Amino acid sequence: MPTATDEDQLSETFAALANSTRRAIVARLAEGEATVNELAEPFDMTLPAISKHIKVLERAGLVVRAHRAQYRPCALDGAPLEAISTWADQHRPVWEARFDRMDDYIAQLRQQRRASEQDG
Amino acid sequence: MADDKGSVAVVIERTFDAPVDFIWLMWTDPEHFKAWYGPDGATIPVATMDVRVGGTRLVCMEMQTPNGPMHMWFTGEYLQIVENERLVYTESMADEHGNVVSPSDMGMPEGHPVTTEIRVELEAVDGRTKMVMTHAGVPEDSPGAAGWTMAFDKLAAQVASRPG
Repeated sequence: MPTATDEDQLSETFAALANSTRRAIVARLAEGEATVNELAEPFDMTLPAISKHIKVLERAGLVVRAHRAQYRPCALDGAPLEAISTWADQHRPVWEARFDRMDDYIAQLRQQRRASEQDG
Repeated sequence: MADDKGSVAVVIERTFDAPVDFIWLMWTDPEHFKAWYGPDGATIPVATMDVRVGGTRLVCMEMQTPNGPMHMWFTGEYLQIVENERLVYTESMADEHGNVVSPSDMGMPEGHPVTTEIRVELEAVDGRTKMVMTHAGVPEDSPGAAGWTMAFDKLAAQVASRPG
């Protein structure tokens, strides 16, 4: 049984990803760990501004920071992304079944139309 | 989408043997919508749709259970409407008056975001209709949400390749 915490976590993941800078950071980290300086490079932003974004990602559990070096490189934690993936995997079959029914329903309407055309 | 598995949004492409205006009605006319939308074993006793930008929708799903019928209500807001081309609306679980409720209060079996977004894109192809439906947990009107599908595709690859 999932808990409210699972759900809060998922909402937080979505909220963290609802920002193009943070998504770009996550996409960059998908290629491997990086320092804050390296992450800041492609953006026209101050280091504190980038750090703020990284903190949001850390809170959402998407990014972990190493303690082994002074520059504390950032790395991606895929677990919250998997939770979103689970959500999507659960919804896909529901939609597939709906569109199967839409297909059937359209065929049915066409048949009715044909029948009424023949009657008329 | 490179791969259906491990995606972070539901993206489904289908081609229907009907013109685009017909498929548009499937989504925007409550009577047609009711005919196909209910998951297997469910019916849609109520569907109200104020199809204009900022307009609200309210849909009730009725499921038969051993303890009698169970009702689930969903509300949402229309964000984009381009007739026969593009429809974008949000979706949240609600009570019968359309007040948003938290999914966990409704006893949902897995974590769900409070508001999700459904986007339907239609394209006429030789009298048939190609439809792309995207259901994602980030509403398009949230800050910085533009272009998220591209980033999500990249993330999807990352999730799919993650060991164990």
